[in-house]
Amino acid sequence: MHVDNFAARPHAASREEGGRPSGQQPVVIARGVTKTYGRTRALTGVDLEVRAGEVLGLVGHNGAGKSTLMRVLAGLEACDEGMVTVCGRDASGEAGPRAGDFRGVRMAYQETSLCPDLTIAENIWVSSRHCLPRMGWRRAAGNGARRRLDEMFPGHGVAPGDRVEDLSLAQRQMVEIARASLVDRLDLLILDEPTESLGPDAARSLYDYVRTLTAGGVAVLLISHRIREILSVADRVAVLRDGAVIAERPASGLGEHDVLTLMGAEVAERAGNERVTAAEGASEDRPVLAEMRGTTAAGLRDVSLRVGVGEVVGLAGLAGQGQQEVLERLWRPVRRDTKVRGTRAYVPGDRQRSGVLPLWSVAENLVVSAMRGIARRGLRRPAEERAVVRDWVERLAIRGGPDAAMTDLSGGNQQKVIVARAFASAADLVLLDDPFRGVDVHTKTDLYGLIRQEAAQGRSVVWYSSENAEMAHCDRVYVFRAGRVVAELTGAEISEERIIAVSFAESDGAQNHE
Amino acid sequence: MNIRALVARPWIWGFAAAALVWLMILAISGQGGGQTVSLALSLAPYLVIVGLGQMLVVTAGPGNIDVSVAPIISLAGFVSVLAAFSTGSATVGVLAGVGAGLVIAAISTVAILGLSVPPIIATLAAGLIASSGTLSLANGFGAVPDPGLRSLLNLRPAGIPILAVAIVVVTVLVIALLRGTTYGRSLIAVGQNRRAAERAGIPVARIIAVTYLASGALAGLTGALLAAYIAPSADLGTRYLLDSVAVVVIGGTLISGGRAVPVGVWGAALFFILLDGLVNLVGWSSAAQNLLKGGLVLLVLFLAGGGDRVAGTSSRFRRRPRPAAATTTTTGENTHG
Amino acid sequence: MSETLGPALLPSRARMRRTAPAVVSAVAMIAMIAVCASLQPDVLSVSGLSLVLSATVPLVIAAQAQMTLMAVGDIDLGIGNFVGLVTVITATTLVTDPLLGGLILLGLVASYTVLGILIHLRKVPSLIATLGASFVWLGLGMFVLPTPGGTTPEWLAAFGMWQPAGFPAPLLPILLVAALVYLLSARSTLGVRMRALGSNPVALERAGLRPLASRAIAYTAAGGLGVLSGLVLASQTGGGDVSSASSYTLMTVAAVILGGGSFYGGSAVPWGVVIGGVTLGLVSVVLSLLDVPTNMQSAVQGVIVLAVLAGRVLVGKVLR
Repeated sequence: MHVDNFAARPHAASREEGGRPSGQQPVVIARGVTKTYGRTRALTGVDLEVRAGEVLGLVGHNGAGKSTLMRVLAGLEACDEGMVTVCGRDASGEAGPRAGDFRGVRMAYQETSLCPDLTIAENIWVSSRHCLPRMGWRRAAGNGARRRLDEMFPGHGVAPGDRVEDLSLAQRQMVEIARASLVDRLDLLILDEPTESLGPDAARSLYDYVRTLTAGGVAVLLISHRIREILSVADRVAVLRDGAVIAERPASGLGEHDVLTLMGAEVAERAGNERVTAAEGASEDRPVLAEMRGTTAAGLRDVSLRVGVGEVVGLAGLAGQGQQEVLERLWRPVRRDTKVRGTRAYVPGDRQRSGVLPLWSVAENLVVSAMRGIARRGLRRPAEERAVVRDWVERLAIRGGPDAAMTDLSGGNQQKVIVARAFASAADLVLLDDPFRGVDVHTKTDLYGLIRQEAAQGRSVVWYSSENAEMAHCDRVYVFRAGRVVAELTGAEISEERIIAVSFAESDGAQNHE
Repeated sequence: MNIRALVARPWIWGFAAAALVWLMILAISGQGGGQTVSLALSLAPYLVIVGLGQMLVVTAGPGNIDVSVAPIISLAGFVSVLAAFSTGSATVGVLAGVGAGLVIAAISTVAILGLSVPPIIATLAAGLIASSGTLSLANGFGAVPDPGLRSLLNLRPAGIPILAVAIVVVTVLVIALLRGTTYGRSLIAVGQNRRAAERAGIPVARIIAVTYLASGALAGLTGALLAAYIAPSADLGTRYLLDSVAVVVIGGTLISGGRAVPVGVWGAALFFILLDGLVNLVGWSSAAQNLLKGGLVLLVLFLAGGGDRVAGTSSRFRRRPRPAAATTTTTGENTHG
Repeated sequence: MSETLGPALLPSRARMRRTAPAVVSAVAMIAMIAVCASLQPDVLSVSGLSLVLSATVPLVIAAQAQMTLMAVGDIDLGIGNFVGLVTVITATTLVTDPLLGGLILLGLVASYTVLGILIHLRKVPSLIATLGASFVWLGLGMFVLPTPGGTTPEWLAAFGMWQPAGFPAPLLPILLVAALVYLLSARSTLGVRMRALGSNPVALERAGLRPLASRAIAYTAAGGLGVLSGLVLASQTGGGDVSSASSYTLMTVAAVILGGGSFYGGSAVPWGVVIGGVTLGLVSVVLSLLDVPTNMQSAVQGVIVLAVLAGRVLVGKVLR
């Protein structure tokens, strides 16, 4: 067997050319699939089928459940309820990386699953070893990779002996896609944001290749936030929202606006009641607390922004467009193009990795930032610390009280503690790194109120959120795309539709790669 | 609740083991147990001091270890005896020993923070430099330890060595340092989760620097006292590298960092010293002693287990924010609006 | 395909950055040999080179063992005493009862495998576990041979005395072992498994490979190389001494780092380890030829390690 014998696949060659895929049998069927992580229901009952020889586009906004659904379809995780059928066989019982039923389902990850220290050929061995010869595997893998890359991305400039860490981001993405497609029998290829770091030419040749694949009977599941791309490549479009597929339409006749509407760009009854109406227009007159002037760096292009005293500034847009780089800059203003007057506090979004101090209680976690300000000559003052803790536990109604172990708390309460940690300190500027993901609605409402209260008392907040609805609580919002500020919205201009529309607008963002 | 309370007091095991060994010695030798305890108390403090320094370093989180303690002890032994001999002041001698430890630790610290050298290599290199200093000093070394300090170290009113009392006070101070100062709290936070500590506004680099300097100073103190107690020699500190790590592990300090148990260092040190005594009493060789120690360390380690394998090793591709895997909430309200 | 030939012919910037540490070490090594030769022209003769290199052979082999563990992201702090234990077994049991001795040596390799498996399953830091194991090796060695002594088996002694004409004998084991490790860690699929574990364990799991297997392979290989290192050391010293190699523990780590290895795992640099190990071994030769007092040798070694690492940081910044 060889990895690159795709062209000689018997069952593919025998298929009728020309018949559109609507009549083809389904390759993967999901029925009523649910998946819960802790208290979060990522999938609430997904029904989806991907048919042989078609490209199914999957769209959904941040947190709609795309990633989880893909992991379930690729067999990396088992679903809690429901059924996943692969090529007619029920595969829901068997999941995990070694599951045999999912062998024909391959996924190109967004965060590449390549080993940076290994060469391309070695990476191919890791994921496709069952179809490589024992002797001469390196040459076979290398040849397969090179041939597939030549087919997919002419002029890729990658050699099979190159180490992955030496490749550019775009080249890594190419290798990742080629890696996913190199297998002896490919039934379904899942592409997760495949063009995120590819240039327009590479994207075009990738989609040409996708058509070749589908013509040979392979099903392709394409996930992208570039709706125009999806509409031009996919045969059908499925819209995922709040963990369920809410619409499945043929791509022909569907417009970009229709998809946006389906995704949830409809008007919401905003939580405007607790919004302290910031004096609109007055933001120009506020004294400036922090400022970036034409910053260009890794992930940022010519970003200028300004934070006034007592102002809540939002950073919106799709995930990973430069918002976190801005926060990083403001947190550690090392260069001259970033100026911050005053002290800072940071609320991380990934609480397990960069928020929770797991061995400590709520009180200890809460007060660790404020401790320095309270202490005198390096000696702690427990009574004052306790007062601060009591105040915040009460104010945010943290369940379990100050003495509960941090790890015993629910995610929402943990997040409250970490937010309280930042606000309990005397910092002038609080940086929020998408901290409310996966936090329940009541907690969120409490915390939104807190942010407005603190701002009213003269504290400034810079708030990155992947949930556009949250931006309504900001005085001013910068929308990011590909490391640039593509829009600055103030006051009444801030609306979810507006943000979605700007952040998906491809005209000015898509060509900026490379 | 009882099990929880016991697990929360991991230092108990060191003392329990020490008591067990003491009973065995008592049963075998049939002599008064008080004398054994008194002897153990006069030997254990040296191990406790260096162990406390190692404990601080280990508490700073995964990958942190100070392998320069052994050469620092040897070097500080010579330096302190020389300084005390030439100035005639034992205090100056002890301070010189501590200073020698600080100098070597400063080299490690600069390498760790300035050159991003992994701690083990940085402390190794600094230790090599220290051992060169030791050998240079040892050549034709004529000074003798301060007799006043030596007799002070040998002082045992009512069978309780003065030094043990002093080191108990030091231990209490370390406990106070960890609980009551911003440095101590910051160190423990850094050890639990370095990223989170940095995001919480803790000056991580400063904390790490202070920690290695403290370990160097404590090792220097050990060397100064040990040289006065025994005699300066080039391999004065050799056994203390392995032993200091072992007492930290057995004492219940979390190997992955973030939890320091100073009292446990005492229990483990007494246990080690008594174990030496037992092995000598039975007539076993030092071979059996090492086997026992190594076996015990491994046993404790594998029984306790480690937490999560720390993901720092492969984070190169994880710099980009993870796509939100799960964000929809259980509550019925549609938060998207 | 002209573009695929490109990187092979012209070293890319990335390739330069990666090989820079080993190159820096190689320059240091050549400089040291040159200094030796200028002080003592005999050094460049076959017998002179043999003399100079022989002491580095067991160190280099032990460093290869360290390298295989560092490829999966672990560190072995017990290798020095392990090598010492092997010399003891070699000088005693292997002489009196070759079969039993051989079995014991195999058992030692297996104990490394078990150690690796336990480290993986119990998720304990390798640093501390191998430190604990080093007590055990030391204890076993002292148990078998309390004071240095014993003899080596004849065949091994003959190997130690072997003086071929034409090339320095120590080069042979150094290069042979490096080639073997290269085949294992850089060319074979076992090596891919090991390096993938050190590089990106998530990818390893996603592809359905077991990280435990990777770690077990690495520890087994390290145990085997440790035994080999001990055999060579015994052949040179003509006896066993459990503490004869105690300096290896930290020297091997330094050799791997000098050779371009990394603490974070993922890379295998068998040839770099040769350069790093020989460089470290040569330091003492150069220093003694330069009449630097033996006292200062370890300090110079320490300074060299730090200087090379500082150089790496610098080179890395320049090449970025």
